[in-house]
Amino acid sequence: MTISQTIPGDAVAVRRRRRIRISTVVWFTLPAAAIMLLVLGVPLVYSFYYSLTGWSLVIPGSDQDFIGLLNYTDVLRSSEFWAAIRVTLIYAVVAVSLECALGILFAVLLNLEFFGRGLFRSLMLIPMVITPAVVGIFWKLLYEQDSGVFNYLLVTLGLEAVPWLSLTVALASVIIMDVWQSTPFFTLIILAGLQSLDRDTVSAAQADGANALQVFRYLTLPHLVPYIMIAAAFRIIGVMADFDKIFLLTLGGPGNVTTTLSVYAYNTGFKVFDIGRTTAISWIYVVFVLAISAPLIWRLFRGASVNRH
Amino acid sequence: MAIKSNRTARKAVLTLFWCVLAFLYLFPYTWMVLTGFRHGVDTISMPPRFIFEPTLAGFRHLFEVTGFQKYIINSAVVTIVSVLLVICVSAPAAYALAHVSKRGGTLLVAILIARIIPGIAIGVPVYLIATRLHQLDTYQALVVINVAVNIPFAIWLMRSFFMEVHPTLREAAISDGCSEWQVFTKIMLPLVLGGMLATSVFVFIAVWNEFLFALILTTSVSPTAPLAMLGFRTQYGVQWDAVGAAAFLVSTPVIIFAFIMQRYLVQGLTMGSVK
Repeated sequence: MTISQTIPGDAVAVRRRRRIRISTVVWFTLPAAAIMLLVLGVPLVYSFYYSLTGWSLVIPGSDQDFIGLLNYTDVLRSSEFWAAIRVTLIYAVVAVSLECALGILFAVLLNLEFFGRGLFRSLMLIPMVITPAVVGIFWKLLYEQDSGVFNYLLVTLGLEAVPWLSLTVALASVIIMDVWQSTPFFTLIILAGLQSLDRDTVSAAQADGANALQVFRYLTLPHLVPYIMIAAAFRIIGVMADFDKIFLLTLGGPGNVTTTLSVYAYNTGFKVFDIGRTTAISWIYVVFVLAISAPLIWRLFRGASVNRH
Repeated sequence: MAIKSNRTARKAVLTLFWCVLAFLYLFPYTWMVLTGFRHGVDTISMPPRFIFEPTLAGFRHLFEVTGFQKYIINSAVVTIVSVLLVICVSAPAAYALAHVSKRGGTLLVAILIARIIPGIAIGVPVYLIATRLHQLDTYQALVVINVAVNIPFAIWLMRSFFMEVHPTLREAAISDGCSEWQVFTKIMLPLVLGGMLATSVFVFIAVWNEFLFALILTTSVSPTAPLAMLGFRTQYGVQWDAVGAAAFLVSTPVIIFAFIMQRYLVQGLTMGSVK
């Protein structure tokens, strides 16, 4: 009797309680939101204003020089800028594709049964977390033309020494370095995907006569697609902003063959001190990166994992 | 019996295969560590010496001549303070955002998009603002920027931990008259302690490895350990044992943390989105 009377009212009450009040959300998120707006938002607005001026730190009083969109048209017309875009895109596409392919291979290999599997899984984490600045400086030692160990090994194996940091090879060398550091990132995420694969389905397919390759092609790979997408999205974002490793390995050189957008923006800002131009580059850079990654993030996270229970 | 031993043999062969693969793959790292324990001349000698008498001369040089302890202390101070602040600010936000309706999802994606902005894109204005506020070369400038950059990630990650707590717990506490703040501090925080620790480790690794803003915002007083690598680059070829020792000291803490927190690594890397 009493139960049937209280249930409807309680259900409504519970639903009302379950939803968090907007004012609570505001108060709880306020400190984080304020810091992000002040420290990330204000500089962006500030830099937009300066991108409309001809301010250069080496010309006194030039910060009052309002020149409209001239910096933007200038940057978009300069060949150096397009060279940097080209380098960034080649770097991103080649590095992420290689990391993805190698990552799948490593993950499949780490998912087999063997002694010490846990140990090898741990060891593969090392490159991923090492400080990128340390990676940059050490790969420079490894890549040395005459005293580097890579060339020593190549020559010992009867092959020819490679001029790793020369005009023609340097970008490939940067890509190899990043592939080395970031493949474990793909491996780890794809390994998680493999572990969540339903074993019964695989057994059923095998019972129906599917061979290993068919199982991989028609069962494993489709199952891995969301995991691969997530890893690729994060790596694309990471590669776009990459600075420390490249800067310490090559400083963007020789010439500008490894000058990515980030190195280009840094050099304009802190070598030439042309504030107007650098801030214009920064804004174009932000728009470029957002145009590429925001749709990825949006698709991956929109509605994803809201309310797990 | 035969099948079983067959299986054992297969496992053993795979282990051997992985020994070779891991050796090849980790060679650059091993080479770096060895450099720290080898006399400088042995590193650049040709042919390179694979077998050598280990020495701590590099570490001695590092501390006595280059004063590397200063960089390590700076890194430690900036990292620890940043991690504490990030967690304090992000935890309540993550709790609140774990309970918003579907429409709140848009807000979450907006937070994540803040993470996409490349550091260098705000580098110059941050430098100008820091100059104007007389905050160049200070701990606080580095801390503030590191905190801001890591908040989006911390919120996303901690939110996924808060969502693992069953909502009935919160509902029951609220019908018993708890305020949201009490639910958060008294019930939720103890339950997601592991997740908070994991988040702290991720933020620790990110701040410890940070290079760009340290390069832009510091000169002599507060440079961090990764920045010391840039100094070594200019005296290139001179003291490789010291560079190796420094590299070893800078990279070891993050590797240790990664090993300890392996369990949470995937969730952190994907910000809990694949599940």
